[in-house]
Amino acid sequence: MTSIKSAKPVKLAKHLVLTGIAITGALALAGCGSSNVSGSSGSSLPELSVGASYMPQPVSTDMAAGFLTITNKGGTKDELTSVTSDSAGEITMHETNGGAMEQVSSFEVPAHGQLVFKSGGNHLMFEKLKRRPAQGDTITLKLKFAESGPLTVEMPVKSATYNPSTGH
Amino acid sequence: MRKKTFAAAALLAAASLALSACGSGDDAKSAVTVVSGATSNKAATILDTPFEKPDLVLTDTHGEKYDLRAETKGRPTLVYFGYTHCPDVCPLTMNNLAVAKKALSKADQAKLRVVFVTTDPARDTPSELGKWLKGIDPAFVGLTGDFATIQAGARTLGISIEPTHRDKKTGKVVSVHGTQVIAFSPKTNGGYVLYGEDATVDDYTKDLPKLIKGENP
Repeated sequence: MTSIKSAKPVKLAKHLVLTGIAITGALALAGCGSSNVSGSSGSSLPELSVGASYMPQPVSTDMAAGFLTITNKGGTKDELTSVTSDSAGEITMHETNGGAMEQVSSFEVPAHGQLVFKSGGNHLMFEKLKRRPAQGDTITLKLKFAESGPLTVEMPVKSATYNPSTGH
Repeated sequence: MRKKTFAAAALLAAASLALSACGSGDDAKSAVTVVSGATSNKAATILDTPFEKPDLVLTDTHGEKYDLRAETKGRPTLVYFGYTHCPDVCPLTMNNLAVAKKALSKADQAKLRVVFVTTDPARDTPSELGKWLKGIDPAFVGLTGDFATIQAGARTLGISIEPTHRDKKTGKVVSVHGTQVIAFSPKTNGGYVLYGEDATVDDYTKDLPKLIKGENP
């Protein structure tokens, strides 16, 4: 719907605005990184909870993605170190950078913050699934952390095109 | 001018990705809202200067030679670059197109060509691609072949991909997919509309009837 016209000053201005927002975003990021450091000096323990979890119905048993948000209400950061499930032979954690998917061995859960896995960004990758998860199924996961005890998550399988922002 | 637009879009994309990777503090959260607000209300980007259809001759899922220009000439065509070992964006994008396609009349469905070009030809053999696409929409075309040819074709559409490789530091496999679906007009054969990876089923359902006719969505 956005029509990009050449040589129209109005449109050019819009692009400059977009660039400006992007730079603001980058600055906000830098701010976020440093706040984690100060948060870790707090004395309270990490206090973790998991929400917004789902798996889009995958194409096959070879590969599936899973998404969730881990919230830390505590004043100390924690670290997600592993995700396991009886439903899958292997679950790995990935981040996505400009279309490149890269496996990482742990993710920080910042103090008074969230670790977000969402489509297009960080995701859990399920491989060697015992059977193909279908919409309506539930996948049971165990999350392990560096500090806190393990958490069990009942992850619902949604449609292949499920969009959490619209809920369908 | 178009270059400038892409530079801005790339910056924006880079910033929003970096943000989601961080995605924690309240500062970051408000910035995320601003960025997505600026991009998510319009799924389609119409190009004043359309892309020429890449001159790609590759192998389809039946192991047959497939000449993209010849096979899709005069047909509404959607092209996406991805790979089957991709759990998230690649199947989501293709499933979004598959679901949206079902809302079209049978006649329009028959006109539409959806072409998935692998960015990981070493693993995506014709049969692997075929198996994967069958689970999404058996009518979708899957192409594989020489990586350098695929990379050159993608580059003409402003899509930068690199071979699947092992990260030097972690030893983990890194694969790359495109982030755009490009719609080619049945009237001009030019690639005139771009969709980012945020495009939803609803966006495609709304726009496909226009794209079938080569009209602006």
